[in-house]
Amino acid sequence: MQILLYILKRILQTIPLLIIVSLISFFIIRLSPVDPLAELRLNPSVSKETLQAETQRLGLDKPIIVQYGKWAKSFIKGDLGVTSNGEKVSTKLKERIPNTLLLTTIVIFLAWIVGIPLGILSAVYWKTPFDRILTVFTSIGMAIPSFFFAVLLLIFAVKTGWFPVGGLTSSNFLEMNFWQKFGDIAHHLVLPVTVLFTLSLAGLQRQMRGNLLDVLDSDYVKFARAKGLSEFKVIFKHALRNAVNPLITLLGFEFAGLLSGAALTEYVFQYPGLGRLILEAVLKSDINLVMASLMMGAVMLILGNLIADILLIMTDPRIRGGQAC
Amino acid sequence: MYVIIVLVLIFGLCKACIRRDIFSENTPQLRPKEELVFADYRIEKNVTVNGVDYLQSQVPVGKFGGQFVSSTIGEGPKTFNPFNSKDNISSTMSEIMYDGLVTTNPVTGETIPKLAKSFTVNGCEYIVNLRHGIKWSDGKPITADDVVFTWNKIILGGFGNTSTRDSIIIDGKLPSVTKIDDYTVKFVTPKPFAPFLRMLSSPIAPKHVFEPAVNRGKAYFDGFLSTNTRPEEFVTSGAFKLKEYVPAQRVVFEKNPNYYVINKDGQKLPYLEKLVYLIVGDINNQVLKFEGGELDEISLQGANVARFKEMEKHSDFTVYNIGPDTGTMYISMNMNNRKNDKGKYYVDPKKQLWFQDKNFRQAVDYAIDRKNMVFNIANGLAYPLFTPETLNSIFLNKNLKPYDKDTNKSRELLKKSGFYWDKAGHLLDRFGNHVEFDLYTNAGNTEREAIGVMVKQDLEDLGMKVNFKPIEFNSLVNKLMSTLDWDMVIMGFTGSPLEPNGGKNVWLSDGTLHIFNQRLEGDENSRRYGFENRIDYLYTQGALATKFEDRKKYYDEYQAIVYDEKPLIYIYSPIRIVAIRDKFKNIYPTTLGGVTHNIEEIFIE
Repeated sequence: MQILLYILKRILQTIPLLIIVSLISFFIIRLSPVDPLAELRLNPSVSKETLQAETQRLGLDKPIIVQYGKWAKSFIKGDLGVTSNGEKVSTKLKERIPNTLLLTTIVIFLAWIVGIPLGILSAVYWKTPFDRILTVFTSIGMAIPSFFFAVLLLIFAVKTGWFPVGGLTSSNFLEMNFWQKFGDIAHHLVLPVTVLFTLSLAGLQRQMRGNLLDVLDSDYVKFARAKGLSEFKVIFKHALRNAVNPLITLLGFEFAGLLSGAALTEYVFQYPGLGRLILEAVLKSDINLVMASLMMGAVMLILGNLIADILLIMTDPRIRGGQAC
Repeated sequence: MYVIIVLVLIFGLCKACIRRDIFSENTPQLRPKEELVFADYRIEKNVTVNGVDYLQSQVPVGKFGGQFVSSTIGEGPKTFNPFNSKDNISSTMSEIMYDGLVTTNPVTGETIPKLAKSFTVNGCEYIVNLRHGIKWSDGKPITADDVVFTWNKIILGGFGNTSTRDSIIIDGKLPSVTKIDDYTVKFVTPKPFAPFLRMLSSPIAPKHVFEPAVNRGKAYFDGFLSTNTRPEEFVTSGAFKLKEYVPAQRVVFEKNPNYYVINKDGQKLPYLEKLVYLIVGDINNQVLKFEGGELDEISLQGANVARFKEMEKHSDFTVYNIGPDTGTMYISMNMNNRKNDKGKYYVDPKKQLWFQDKNFRQAVDYAIDRKNMVFNIANGLAYPLFTPETLNSIFLNKNLKPYDKDTNKSRELLKKSGFYWDKAGHLLDRFGNHVEFDLYTNAGNTEREAIGVMVKQDLEDLGMKVNFKPIEFNSLVNKLMSTLDWDMVIMGFTGSPLEPNGGKNVWLSDGTLHIFNQRLEGDENSRRYGFENRIDYLYTQGALATKFEDRKKYYDEYQAIVYDEKPLIYIYSPIRIVAIRDKFKNIYPTTLGGVTHNIEEIFIE
């Protein structure tokens, strides 16, 4: 009951937050000196009449506040409007969201499956050569910028010919049977997943290692050991539970990054995900598309935090006590 | 385990990098134009077989099957409706599917029949004879009804992008289109209007598919045949028809089984089963994809040309020099002398004095070292340019001779207008103002940025102070088109090598792209410069005359005026270089037609 009430409160809090986010982003986009019709204007074969028709269609002849009102009204009704090419924003997003989700969920899944055990291992075998070697590699992983790593891997793909150069499917995808399609997508995913996986693995492994080390040093772990519990029980039953709190918060952020976290890598690999769509939309000030993506980002972030908080309440009695009042 | 993989990757990378990427410093010697095999391209001829009027390919007979993979840079097509397209990529995609009545001879630039069997021009009257027995991709015949419907309802009815319609309104009147019989159509323009013949290359729509959409109104038509349309719904007349569109990845076209071109053995073309366009984000990715073997054709620029030329020796592709491109690069000065609605001058009055001074503009022109730019920025792969018509234009005025940088002449011209230099060598005008202004271009375009740096140097040799400011493309366009608060800019246009009238938005004094003296709404009747009036006259007359020789006279004079007055200072025109895989035969790239003008004849050996 308490949890339900808490969730309700949190959801109510998001409403003013979303309004503020939308206002600020709308005005910043519209006040920037970016002209959505720039390309048309510089095309010698486009006539004045066409330009005027376009201006009217996009509503650029009205004051910003009216434009915002129009957008907000349809947004509340659940209509995201049309892009500057006249396509529905919702269909545009629907095309891309599955691709991005495919990439990010694989990465998050892999990173957590591999990162957490590696973190635990290097904490348990603290200061052994194993831990040291891992530390070196995770430091490299954390230091290398994602786009640079992506470019390196692309060159690698070109020179060896082992992997396709970007994209998600081959040009004869339509004629493949199910397993060939599966293999084709997997083949295309290897490189982008490698990039994102390396980066998030490094962070996660360091985080887990640090947390666990802190906990391993505490009195109750010493007591558990003194009681004669097996090392396995000490770590998994006592230490790990206490070390996992910050990671849950991290999971909340990972959730927020599901849709937007891979933008740079997507761009370098020409991956047909949301990142590339939004970047192109921002460059030509395609207001409905940009607003939709910003709002989506804000909602995902809030949701992610909410989920993390709820998980925390469930795992940690200390927080549960605090939230009640 | 993972560690080992990363190590292997890094090792492989290092090895791969060492192996290549070393190429000679010399400008590559591309095969000279005269030697090109494609100069002997023979265009397709009309033949009648069993009562069907086909076009017959005159080049060697090839094998059927396979695919050709090309690419487009950017976000891909925005629509597949040929009447709605407002950008190059959408137009290219829809032109593959929908043929026009006429087309351009890729070698000579003449207008030749395509979907039409023949045409005759008699003053204002154009009689077009259609082919008997040819069909849409769904098997329905292509008749005069389709042509009349396309012109009367869609184009003249103002559906979609109305630019074609807007450009043929002569004295407030539109041409008329009437059906004479099932295979003959008559077009009548209100006055003789030479550019009209080329406008007949507008695509023809299948009436049975487009009519329901047209009946539902303009708003519906804007979304008709959009990128979300199912490929089966396309009914086309071109060599290919849409098979699959995957957003941000590729567009796949398949062969149109009813295409009306046959080879010498009487088999229906195209040879290729599929035509694929990959949608790539930028040039670097395009180059990588070509090197990775995913692309069959690529346009090359700058340093890549030298690298590809070196790789050509041990690779499976050939680098072709197609000749001058239609792109131009120019410097413009803001010659605006009006005030904005707040009563402030768009251009600082002291600067107006400089930019509106012909001597000043010529001095800038003589100070610019075009050859140096061609060598250092375009890697020698461009020609210095002095005229608004590009070097491959059939209307180029060949009497206007190129010249070299001449600083002394610049100084003389400046002195003539009362400019002088102080002891430190700074240039001052006759009222003692330091000559200092901003030079803009769009950031991110490395070529224009490099030109900007060199222009700045050249002008600073004359004692001018130039603040070079590359800014974001859309902001720059906003400056050029709306706020008009700029001094000097480096920009580029793509011109048409066939029809100077395509440049009327730039050169008519009330044009939407009259960049050097942009007139906003309310300024339409403001005073013109003398040369602006003259160009207005020449452009109008040039369009009304119908004989090529008569038109040439008008367009020669306009080029001479621009050459002398320098409202736009042209810098260079790049050479188009493409690399194509050797397995493709019947490749005849031309400067006017590009690589894919004979896509139906290209085959894989």
